[in-house]
Amino acid sequence: MTDHVARLYALAVAILVFLVAWAAVAARPWATSSQATADPRVQALIVKQERVRREALAVRRALANRRAAAPASTAPALAQPSVRIVTLPPLTVTRTS
Amino acid sequence: MERHAFRAMGTDVELLLDAVPGAESKAALEEAEQELRRLEGLLSRFLPGSELSALNRLGSLEAGDELLTVTRLALEARTRTGGLFDPTVHDALVAAGYDRTFEEVGDGPAGAPRPCGGEVRIEGQRIELERGFRLDLGGIAKGWAVDRAAAVLDAAGPCLVNAGGDLAARGRSWPVGVETTEGQITIALADGAMATSGSDRRRWRRGGQELHHLIDPALGGPADSDYLRVTVVAATAAEAEVRSKAVFLGAPVEEPAVLVTADGRTVLAGGLG
Repeated sequence: MTDHVARLYALAVAILVFLVAWAAVAARPWATSSQATADPRVQALIVKQERVRREALAVRRALANRRAAAPASTAPALAQPSVRIVTLPPLTVTRTS
Repeated sequence: MERHAFRAMGTDVELLLDAVPGAESKAALEEAEQELRRLEGLLSRFLPGSELSALNRLGSLEAGDELLTVTRLALEARTRTGGLFDPTVHDALVAAGYDRTFEEVGDGPAGAPRPCGGEVRIEGQRIELERGFRLDLGGIAKGWAVDRAAAVLDAAGPCLVNAGGDLAARGRSWPVGVETTEGQITIALADGAMATSGSDRRRWRRGGQELHHLIDPALGGPADSDYLRVTVVAATAAEAEVRSKAVFLGAPVEEPAVLVTADGRTVLAGGLG
C-alpha cells in the first residue's frame, strides 16, 4: 500500500467519523422526553384530557343507567303522534272548543 | 264500534270504542263518562262547589292531586310559552263578559281589560294565589280530563274521546275531520291528541263590541289574532290545548297543524302540507 492510498483511506475514515459525530449531535440525545412533559402547560393539558375522559365515561354510564331505569310506558306517551291526511270519511270532527 | 255521546264540561262529548258491543264495553264507556264528570266537578270554575271555585274564593287551599297536577301543568305551560298561555286570565275573561257558562252569557257593559300573569305559589299540596288573581283552568283541564278518560277507555280497546274539539285517540288510527275554509279535510290520528282554538265560536256582544273567549294575557282582553282557528296535533290533549292557544296568540308553529287565517286562507303546517 502506498502512502498515497493510505492517506485516501485515512481521509475516508475521517469523513465517516465526522458524519457519524454530526448525526449523533443532531439527534440531541441529551434532550430527554421528560423535559418535554415537564412543561407545565403540557402537564395541565394531559390532566385536563384525563378529567374530560373520566367525565365523558361517567356521563355515558349515567345515561345508560337512566335509560335502563326509565319505565317503558313513558316513551309512547311523549312520542309525537303519527298523522297524515287521508280520504276516509271522518268518524268524528274537531272544532273550536 | 260503540259510540256514546253526552253533555259535560259545557260541551258535547263523544266516546268511540272499537270493541265488541257488550256489558264490558258499556261499563268502560260509563266509567270514562264518570271520570270526565268527576274531573269537571273538581276543576270547573263555573261550579260553585268545585275545588277550583274554592281556591278562587279563598285564595289559598290544600289541594287534591288533580287540581295540583293541572295547576302545575298550566304553570309549566305559562313558562314554556313565554306567558302566551296563562291560567290567571280568569278575571280578564270575567271582565270581558264570560262570567258564567257560555250558554248563559248575555249582553251587558264591557269591562276594562284586567292584568294577567299573577303569581301562583305551590308548596307541598298548598296552592296560593296572588291577591287579586284567580285561576281559569278551562281548556287545559278539559284536555287533561280527555286524556284521563282515554286512559280509562283504552283498557277496553282502541278508543277516541272527543270533548268539543279536544280529542285523544288510542290504540289505532282514527279518521278525524278538521274544518277548513275549503271544506273539511280528514286527518288520520294514531295514539295522539288534537285540539282546536279559535275565535269563531264562543263569541258574544258586550257594549256593542263583538268579543270572544281567547284572552291575550299581554292585553288582558280578547286577542286580536292573525288566525280565525288553529288545530294542533300533540302527544296529549292537554298539550294540544296549550299549543293551539299559544299558536293562536302568535307562537311559532312547531307541530302538525291546520291554520285558518283571519283573511280566510287555510295553511297546513308541520308536515301535513
